[in-house]
Amino acid sequence: MKRENNFFRARQAGMGFMFLGLAAVVVVAGLMTWPVSAAQSPRPAAQADAPKNEMCLACHAQQAMQIPLESGETLSLYVNGETFKTSAHGAKEVACAACHSDITAFPHPQRTAKSLREVTTQFSQNCQQCHADENGKTMQSVHQAARDAGNLDAAACADCHNPHETRPIAEMTKVDVAATCAQCHNAIYETYQTSVHGSALIGEGNTDVATCTDCHGVHDIQNPTTVQFRNETPKLCAKCHTNPAIMDKYGLPTQVYSTYVSDFHGTTVTLFENTDPGLPTNKAVCTDCHGIHNISRVDDPTTGISIKKNLLVKCQQCHPGLNENFPDAWMGHYIASPTKYPIVYYINLFYQFLIPTVLGGMAIFVISDFVRRMIDRRKGKNHA
Amino acid sequence: MSQNPRTYERFPLLRRIEHVVMLTSFSTLGLTGLPQKYPNSGISQAIVSFFGSVDNLRQIHHIAATILMLGTIYHLMMFGYKFYVERARLTMLPSLQDAKDALQAFLYNLGLAKTRPQIGRFGFEEKAEYWAFVWGTLVMAITGYMMWNPIATTSLLPGEFIPAAKAAHGAEAVLAVLAILLWHFYGVHLKTFNKSMWTGHLTEEEMLHEHPLELADIKAGADKPIVDAKTLAKRQRIYWPIAIVLSAAMLYGVYNFVTSENTAITTVPIQDVGGPVYSPQTPTPQP
Repeated sequence: MKRENNFFRARQAGMGFMFLGLAAVVVVAGLMTWPVSAAQSPRPAAQADAPKNEMCLACHAQQAMQIPLESGETLSLYVNGETFKTSAHGAKEVACAACHSDITAFPHPQRTAKSLREVTTQFSQNCQQCHADENGKTMQSVHQAARDAGNLDAAACADCHNPHETRPIAEMTKVDVAATCAQCHNAIYETYQTSVHGSALIGEGNTDVATCTDCHGVHDIQNPTTVQFRNETPKLCAKCHTNPAIMDKYGLPTQVYSTYVSDFHGTTVTLFENTDPGLPTNKAVCTDCHGIHNISRVDDPTTGISIKKNLLVKCQQCHPGLNENFPDAWMGHYIASPTKYPIVYYINLFYQFLIPTVLGGMAIFVISDFVRRMIDRRKGKNHA
Repeated sequence: MSQNPRTYERFPLLRRIEHVVMLTSFSTLGLTGLPQKYPNSGISQAIVSFFGSVDNLRQIHHIAATILMLGTIYHLMMFGYKFYVERARLTMLPSLQDAKDALQAFLYNLGLAKTRPQIGRFGFEEKAEYWAFVWGTLVMAITGYMMWNPIATTSLLPGEFIPAAKAAHGAEAVLAVLAILLWHFYGVHLKTFNKSMWTGHLTEEEMLHEHPLELADIKAGADKPIVDAKTLAKRQRIYWPIAIVLSAAMLYGVYNFVTSENTAITTVPIQDVGGPVYSPQTPTPQP
């Protein structure tokens, strides 16, 4: 260790045996040329020759073990061995050196990371040796794009998946997911907690509702402020809101999507989504009226948009200068019936009779005329 | 008779131009309108893609609608001239005779009548189509106005009128397009290939077969009232000022129809997501 560190200096003698073990590893490792394809292997390349984890924990189980970084921050080098053993990695006996692949000997090589962020982002580059698919998707994500653009705050693998503690994926609940995102998106999380989705999940443990990843995806999380994302919003919400297996439990209608598409906004957005996914439209999508992370019940007295005065405010966001008649121009996901939107219902009914009557009458006459002409022609008779 | 080269004018040039304007705007309206009624159909999406985007499609729909409205104003003024100045016969007016003709034609087709009805300048088939077009244009203009200007509409009428207008506009469009395809195409393209709307003329044989009463009127000189030049000039002096004022008023109406309302903002701002996107919990957990 070239870095000045009192902690290590004090323990150098006790680590002599470890140094010898690691030195052997270095010799073996140095003789091998590591194939590139090892990155795709299900087991980390360094696994086979790695020192035993107990060897690492001999020092790193010390809670006080830490080093200062160039940024002035302090990097804790402590790993809780018991927690690690029950973690997803620990349970599979993944070696410390599999991820900490730069550490092949003692003394350890000098760190290149200058700050805590750099430590996290550097180590996150090691995940791909076992998690190539997830890493590939993450490379396409908004987090990666932000990091590429120089925003070091953007999440890397280890931000969401603490490698020493992460649980097997099957044990991750929707609540865990939301709590994970909350680490960086806390303001949004707090808003979400008050929403119809978040309050049910966090408050009641109801897992029928959407958690972050249900709308945003997991590794290939896309920028939700793009035109594409906006144009796809109705189909996104429809994934759950047209599913009777979920909606029936709460007495929620599943025709919210079809009624949206058949109404003016929805018709336009559907056409945009299908023909011009990259072109912006000023027509409302679900979230424009219902909100995003603050989605409330539609019958909520203060924010619910089934209450006309609340809806009026929403309409006015895009349609300045309208009066209180205007919100009724939106059929509120209803299908016209004699009691709801009767004028629309009766106009539809009128045309349901008018169209077949007129066209049917025309067709009968046209067919009769055509047949008569055929008969007259065959008889050689002038069509008198 | 085919040996007889004599032809009779059926549609003067201006009427034929009107027809071209009408058929172009009508077809454009149908082509750009129906995809909006059936947004999920692949054909609709192909049409939208052809026009570039649904916004372009609407723009073209609006332009075609404006042309049709202008054509309608011209038609009304033309009618005013014929009615007041020329005192032309109201040959397009439906009458009881048309109902009788229609019945007789149908009975003839069924073999229950010996002869076809004798038709004048415009038969029941043409009158039915003309008045259907008048009705359709009226419905489409009123409901189109409501959808084009929903804020103005709902300042006077309940909001429900907007989706009602949309329902009527779409259903009427289906009716109109199918009626044209069935009635018009059969009547003037399939039954006999009637080219008079393009050439302006019918032959004597065609006249005898399709419009025998009109042919008789022409031969008797009874197809047009005779007006002396002095009376004509006097009537024109009254007609033109009124026509200009009325046209100007109607053009102003169309201008308002087309330009008065900005229904919605053009760009929807990025919505509030509930707080700053990056707002880490403290202390920030470290792996």
